[in-house]
Amino acid sequence: MYGGGNVFEPMKVKELIDEDPVLLKEFEARIDRGEKIEPTDWMPELYRKQLIRMIEQHAHSEIIGALPEGTWITRAPGFKRKMALMAKVQDEVGHAQLLYSAAETLGKPREKMIDDLINGKSKYSNIFNYPAFTWADSCFISWLVDAGAIVNQLANAKGSYGPYVRALDRICKEESFHLKYGHDCVATLAAGSKQQREWMQDAINRWWAPMMMFFGPSDKISVHSEVLIKWKVKMASNDAMREQYLDMYVPKILELGFTIPDPNLRRNEEEGKWEITEPDWDEFKRVINGDGPCNKERLAVRRVAEERGRWVREAINRKSENYIVPLA
Amino acid sequence: MESLDPRVNRMKIGGFDGELHKEAMDQLGTYEVFLIPKDGKPLESVGPVHASDAEMAFVFAKEAFSRRFECVAMAVCPTASIFPSPVSEADISAYDLVTIPAETEGENRQYEVFHMNKRGKFHKHVGSVEAIGDIDALYKGKDEYGVDKPKNVWVVPTGDFHFNAEEDSDLWATLPEKKYRDAIFYKAGEKIQRYKESVNS
Ligand SMILES: [Fe+2]
Ligand SMILES: [Fe+2]
Ligand SMILES: [Fe+2]
Repeated sequence: MYGGGNVFEPMKVKELIDEDPVLLKEFEARIDRGEKIEPTDWMPELYRKQLIRMIEQHAHSEIIGALPEGTWITRAPGFKRKMALMAKVQDEVGHAQLLYSAAETLGKPREKMIDDLINGKSKYSNIFNYPAFTWADSCFISWLVDAGAIVNQLANAKGSYGPYVRALDRICKEESFHLKYGHDCVATLAAGSKQQREWMQDAINRWWAPMMMFFGPSDKISVHSEVLIKWKVKMASNDAMREQYLDMYVPKILELGFTIPDPNLRRNEEEGKWEITEPDWDEFKRVINGDGPCNKERLAVRRVAEERGRWVREAINRKSENYIVPLA
Repeated sequence: MESLDPRVNRMKIGGFDGELHKEAMDQLGTYEVFLIPKDGKPLESVGPVHASDAEMAFVFAKEAFSRRFECVAMAVCPTASIFPSPVSEADISAYDLVTIPAETEGENRQYEVFHMNKRGKFHKHVGSVEAIGDIDALYKGKDEYGVDKPKNVWVVPTGDFHFNAEEDSDLWATLPEKKYRDAIFYKAGEKIQRYKESVNS
């Protein structure tokens, strides 16, 4: 998952034809009955690996996502905003903790996930690799990036994997504060001075294109993605999530008197969907693969945390105690 | 690296060169966290934390799970202390999937019993039993609470929990001073109204 959207790249796993047919049938029947899968259940390798990748990328996105907003904590306008932004950023880091634990139940240790992140081997949401120039950028993130994440998280919360569903249950409850806080921040600028309105409009102009990419490219229906829909790993297509986002938030942005920097944006009432300028998918790929405006800085910050925190981990860790995978 | 973040510049956070690998086991052990959301509700499982020991686990758990919502008591235990039954579904009780014979010798001690009533839900505390071992505790749990037909059962020796003392319960009374973390604290509507009036005037 790249933030909101899913890019289901092919991966090397056991072909379904090589899985035990009896177990596979039971597994699918369980999902068809609407039951959740728990960590000790048998599951096909494709299900396990795809979920690890998805949940891990979601976790990384929460941790990295805290960085551009975190930039503005020290310079937030006023004590209340500072406290609220600090609480929001803390929530996001907490979400990462919950998600890493959920991914761990599938068999990938946390140390390995962090290792892959700091060495640039894991992907995470495109959008957090763009810079937050002004306070208004951080307001855009709190309201409109979180809104995108929520569209995605609410869909995934109906998925089939128990530990992920339980983590998302808590995460979604916490997100409602982020959304309201973010909306309040943007509305404050909207109702403010000419300068404040300009700041907010500039932020919208900067973030709109990456936001449209956030949900990922149109899904190509491959054999794998069909099976992942059937198994309730993939809960909504990237296009469906983007549509839902536009339905919900375009009117709210316009209501505040801001414009959206896409001359082609319009709702096609006959077809019942939005028309937008096709996002620059080459840019999306570059950013996802590590070459966006801030990728290097984001990873450098995580690496510094890793290096400078080592002595603390060494001081408190008891390696004699065997690591045990969390239960649920 | 020249950054927009003054902290990154101040700390002279450098570029991204070469690989940096974590050593094997450069992570802490896992603990499972339980809390009581309101007086009169049962203790329920909320998820795991990584920590070096029970006390640290309690501190992390407090941050992770009681930071935002109501909580009146919290307990943590090492993941290794939990003995789980197999997971069942539909009308089948998880207790009926326990087929290995119970321990035959050992000291009697108290266990806490938790049920997951439906797949995908959290485990909730149903009561305690006296037993001489983990498996014995599952059988005792079945005698006592089996009618619920849970889909999964956890038994945990009572002594393995780390929890807050009764007199420390004001630990949890922090929510009223942190209203800014509640969605209802924010009333964007007034500002939107103000903006609209300014346009019309
Ligand atoms: Fe989050
Ligand atoms: Fe977020
Ligand atoms: Fe959020």
